[in-house]
Amino acid sequence: MIAIIEDDKGWEDYYQQLLADYDLKCFHDGLAAVQWMDKTVPDLVILDILLTGPTGFAVLNEMQSYPELAKVPVIVVSSVAMSEDELAKYGVRAVFDKGDMMPQDLLKSVQAALEGARNGK
Amino acid sequence: MESEVFSANSSTVVVAHELKAPLSLMRQLALSLELERDIDRAHQISEKIVVTSDRAIRQVNDLTKIARLDEALFEMEPVNPRMVCDDVVNELWRLFRFNHRELRLEYRNKKRLVVGNRQLLYSVVYNFCLNAMNYGGEELPSIVSISDKYGTKIRIAVRDFGPAIPTKIWREIKDGFVKQPVDIAMRPGSSGLGLYIAAKFTNYMQGDFGLIRHRDGTSFYIDLPVSGQLSLV
Repeated sequence: MIAIIEDDKGWEDYYQQLLADYDLKCFHDGLAAVQWMDKTVPDLVILDILLTGPTGFAVLNEMQSYPELAKVPVIVVSSVAMSEDELAKYGVRAVFDKGDMMPQDLLKSVQAALEGARNGK
Repeated sequence: MESEVFSANSSTVVVAHELKAPLSLMRQLALSLELERDIDRAHQISEKIVVTSDRAIRQVNDLTKIARLDEALFEMEPVNPRMVCDDVVNELWRLFRFNHRELRLEYRNKKRLVVGNRQLLYSVVYNFCLNAMNYGGEELPSIVSISDKYGTKIRIAVRDFGPAIPTKIWREIKDGFVKQPVDIAMRPGSSGLGLYIAAKFTNYMQGDFGLIRHRDGTSFYIDLPVSGQLSLV
């Protein structure tokens, strides 16, 4: 199961179309996602940073507080320019800028993160 | 100077960020269109590109209008608010549908005209509706309403059923008006660009801009003076 945390419905629809082969659970805000992750550990999280309510950083911090969630790979897709190095400590595997992301690159990254999680990497 | 939006660095960043969202989405949709083999789905994607670009173009147009408010090119005239609201809803219903939202009209005043500028009033209502679309929930529709206010004014309001505005931000809007778009101008995560535009245009038309904080959402409104001229519609 991939948890998508994205408050823009246009982007959410886009993910649903691009990742139609995967089992997705979409959230419009970080709080609802964190509450859901309290009971369910996703295989992967795709996270926007500027969200309605708590930001993506709050979600990352919350995930780091729980051992099971700290291991979950995260892919950040945001309009805010950030480096992977900055976010590596939060378990972030890849960072994409919404402005120049290629759909194929996101698909590859999702596949790699899921395989890595399955192999315990 | 009204064009402060372009002079302050922080505002420019906020505006740029807000405009980047539809542009980057259009780019992704165009890329996915290249890969799409199903004609129906390709048609849906191309329709999404059109409505997303319409929205971005309107924002740019509104920002251009703000820069030109000083030139007093927007004359005050009798305006039928119902026709303006009908036009906005006609333009936005598809975008609402794409976002799994609904927009409804409730007119308690059908005949009276207001003193304002049609273009600017259109932008105000349009931006209120966009704000409602972004923050309203999927379960209940956003509602555009027109009603009498004190007999001398007409209130045009857009009600959403989304998360309530935090008290601090509510006070800022009530007390300080909207001077510039800031990171959390209206609600967390929002640049408030649309509401900033609406506030500027309302101020130009000498109307009152405000909000009502409900337990289950927010209404943004503009009050404009009633025109002595009767509507022929």
